[in-house]
Amino acid sequence: MSILLLGSLFVAVTLFVMFSGIPIAFALGTVALIFMACFMPAASLDIVTQNVYEEMASITLLSIPLFILKGAAIGRSRAGQDLYGALHAWLGKVPGGLGVANVLACALFAAMAGSSPATCSAIGSAGIPEMRKRGYSPGFAAGIIAAGGTLGILLPPSITMILYAVAAEQSLGRLFLAGIGPGVMLVALFSAYTVWQFRRQYSEALVEMKASPGTITPAILQTESYTLEQKLSYLPRVLPFLLLLTGVMVALYGGFATPSETAGLGAVLAFVLIAGIYRLWRVRDLKPMFEATIKESTMLMFIIGMSLLFSNVMSDLHLSQSAAEWIVALNPSRWVLLAAVLLLVIVLGFFLPPVSIILMTAPIILPPLRAAGFDLVWFGVVMTIVMETGLIHPPVGLNIFVIKNIAPDIPLSEIIWGIVPFVIIMLLSVVVLCFLPQIATGLPDAVMGVLATKH
Amino acid sequence: MNIISYFQGFISQINRLMVALGSLGLAAASLILSYSVVSRSLFNATTDWQDEAAVFCLVGVTFLSAAFVQERRSHIGISAVAGLLPGFLEKLRVFFIDLVSFAFCSFFTWKSWTLWHEAWSDGQVTSSSWGPPLAIPYGLMATGMSLLCIQLLLHTLGHLFGVTTTAAKGH
Amino acid sequence: QGTATNLKISHQFPGGTIDEGDFRDRLVRRFAQAVEGRSNGAVKFQIYPGSSLMKVNAQFSAMRKGALDMSLFPIPYAGGEVTETNIGLMPALVTSYEQATKWKTADVGSMFNKLLAEKGIVILSWIWQAGGVASRSKALVSPEDAKGLKVRGGSKEFDMMLKDAGASVISLPSSEIYAAMQTGAMDAAFTSSTSFISFKLEELAKAYTGAQNKSYWFMLEPLIMSKKIFDALPPDHQKLLMAVGAEMEAYGMTEAKKDDIMAGQIYEKAGAKVFALDDTVVSKWRDIAARTAWKDFSDRNATCAALMKAAQQLI
Ligand code: NA
Ligand code: NA
Repeated sequence: MSILLLGSLFVAVTLFVMFSGIPIAFALGTVALIFMACFMPAASLDIVTQNVYEEMASITLLSIPLFILKGAAIGRSRAGQDLYGALHAWLGKVPGGLGVANVLACALFAAMAGSSPATCSAIGSAGIPEMRKRGYSPGFAAGIIAAGGTLGILLPPSITMILYAVAAEQSLGRLFLAGIGPGVMLVALFSAYTVWQFRRQYSEALVEMKASPGTITPAILQTESYTLEQKLSYLPRVLPFLLLLTGVMVALYGGFATPSETAGLGAVLAFVLIAGIYRLWRVRDLKPMFEATIKESTMLMFIIGMSLLFSNVMSDLHLSQSAAEWIVALNPSRWVLLAAVLLLVIVLGFFLPPVSIILMTAPIILPPLRAAGFDLVWFGVVMTIVMETGLIHPPVGLNIFVIKNIAPDIPLSEIIWGIVPFVIIMLLSVVVLCFLPQIATGLPDAVMGVLATKH
Repeated sequence: MNIISYFQGFISQINRLMVALGSLGLAAASLILSYSVVSRSLFNATTDWQDEAAVFCLVGVTFLSAAFVQERRSHIGISAVAGLLPGFLEKLRVFFIDLVSFAFCSFFTWKSWTLWHEAWSDGQVTSSSWGPPLAIPYGLMATGMSLLCIQLLLHTLGHLFGVTTTAAKGH
Repeated sequence: QGTATNLKISHQFPGGTIDEGDFRDRLVRRFAQAVEGRSNGAVKFQIYPGSSLMKVNAQFSAMRKGALDMSLFPIPYAGGEVTETNIGLMPALVTSYEQATKWKTADVGSMFNKLLAEKGIVILSWIWQAGGVASRSKALVSPEDAKGLKVRGGSKEFDMMLKDAGASVISLPSSEIYAAMQTGAMDAAFTSSTSFISFKLEELAKAYTGAQNKSYWFMLEPLIMSKKIFDALPPDHQKLLMAVGAEMEAYGMTEAKKDDIMAGQIYEKAGAKVFALDDTVVSKWRDIAARTAWKDFSDRNATCAALMKAAQQLI
């Protein structure tokens, strides 16, 4: 069977199985087993469980549940409500201030966690309900968190950048630094869009209310005034969050903890804080936090584990590799090559998590990109941003699943429409990075010196 | 068809127990990693077992709670087709979903137990310097997958006999 | 060409081309090219670099079961499954390439071949590689330097020796080495010269002790094949694989030695203090290893004891 036919069959079967509604984790596994049975050596079926175990049994990956637990301790306790109360008191007058605060919170959490779904979950569990409570449309609130969550792999530490650094033989330190500039740029762009979209929803609500007077004022139009005294009284409520943030940052960047240890330490610290400040330490207080964490992290870890089987099959049948080889064989001009490669990354992002995309395509696409004169540190950042979009679009988009879990009542279509503008922003920022590579390379060059021979 | 409800009730109890165990596992993993940081910083202690112990805890949490998550239908799927099909086909579809999930998980469970058996009879250990038996995490994986299979079987039978086997989603 | 045998080779090292990149990847590509050429295309290969087919640790048992054909595989990684393979990274047991080369044909080599054959693995090419240690603070040259340092030994046996020397051993995934060394969560890490080059730790390291001269860090990373698959091949193909595998050994040694030298140069250029080892220092480490790691290994079972005894004859 030709590789093109095999590839088409694979995509068709995958789409059919996924859109039938089978849980993503089992759908990925089922497709993998079908193709293993039909097209791979019989013994492949004997090693599926070991492969999945080997994928999961790394503390780097398994830190995801712990990051989610830390987020749940804050987000699902009064600590989260107080934090958002304070933010509202201070930013209530700023249009879209709460949304911007959520983007910033995602960025801060991203600086502690190496994965996007963990960031999304930690901030979203409190952020989405709080924004909806204050009149943000459900899709908009979901979009903010989904997009903010993707910063998890762009801002250091980042699981995918670690893998990329190894595959591309680039300096991890340089790569981490290179992610900061574009990360800040995305934060700014997300915030700007958030303010704009908020004002739009605000004025729409205003028009609607004027059209039908006498109805209840919609939440988005309700503004509470706070005196300075009230505002000041809110400040101490931010303290637990600040303590946690400082504690974890000092442990991580001060050299006391390894990145994965930070996950466990952060969770413990969060529980100590809510026990000390809010007296939440009884089983009945903590049970909902642990249950929510388990539901979300198990769902995620199953998808991540089973997608390994799926990418095993894709790799063994040489599907992604053939696509990449085909692009390279066309020997296109410099920028066409880049565009084609990024398009491939987007297409693979429909089905695969970033980690699998890197492992399969890097060995094939990196040598020609290097030969075409692209700075591979810069490309790592660009590729990361493009892969981030894969996290927030269907069918397999880990961040979407996290949000679906936090707010099951928001229809998927609404979430997706809320996310689309953010995807556009991310793709635009890739274009910006092509014209202004210094946004990425400036910081590493300033800190670590310009490389004599840029590969 | 009381027997399905009866079994579902029994499995729900077990699922709840597994979540309690899972919560302990999460707590244990966090404490172990924190202990690692503290003991190294304060006492310059060797920390060569904590990562792996935490991994075992978290593997246990993930697999043992899979059935609980399934009972609440929180293993997320794409629900785009739901509501588009006529009544009979829709019923067939939801039946098909659970049947295929059950088939996949049965295969996975079977291979988990053979993996466990191999590790057990060969005395395999992890390659770290602590070197605990691999039969521990494999056993946790196999047990969790078995529970998940039973849950999916109950879902499948539930469709056939019109018995509700799904728990409420709320926390 | 419908009857061509297609073999898959998986490895964990960065992928490149036949002339450029990690020598372990280049070696695999040369091997594949030579076999394809000499078999007139009857044996073809598909190479999966950088763990793109499966995880590092899954490769060994996949080959045992016949689900993977070949791998260039650091043999001690199979230590959990087959404890005897830990001898492939025994501190100070091998201290030079000349000594390492003797293994294949000596008693220890035939014992090791027999052991792996029983486990369903065939060694095609004996590749050895030396390594060293990079540290972010004070240099780690002789055992006295280890006191108080947070060191990643990377294997059970190295950890034992380092603990005895007074280091506090830290375990973390290799992917976290860079970050941990950057923040100071870890002071020093052992690995192969080639990995020192690709990890770019020279950006952080203040001191580097390499294998330019001698080393007490030697790892066996052979090109191995599933016995199931091997046995199913016609005898002339089996012979060809073995012959080309043997020819690759010289290439492997030359390139490994080049990396030993190059790693030292790279770290020196980046401003690290670079040290080489002599016999006196190596024997100090050997004394510790013998009473800790070697003893522990020999005590595991009779095969381990016999392997250890046979390996010691080559010292
Ligand atoms: Na991050
Ligand atoms: Na996607």
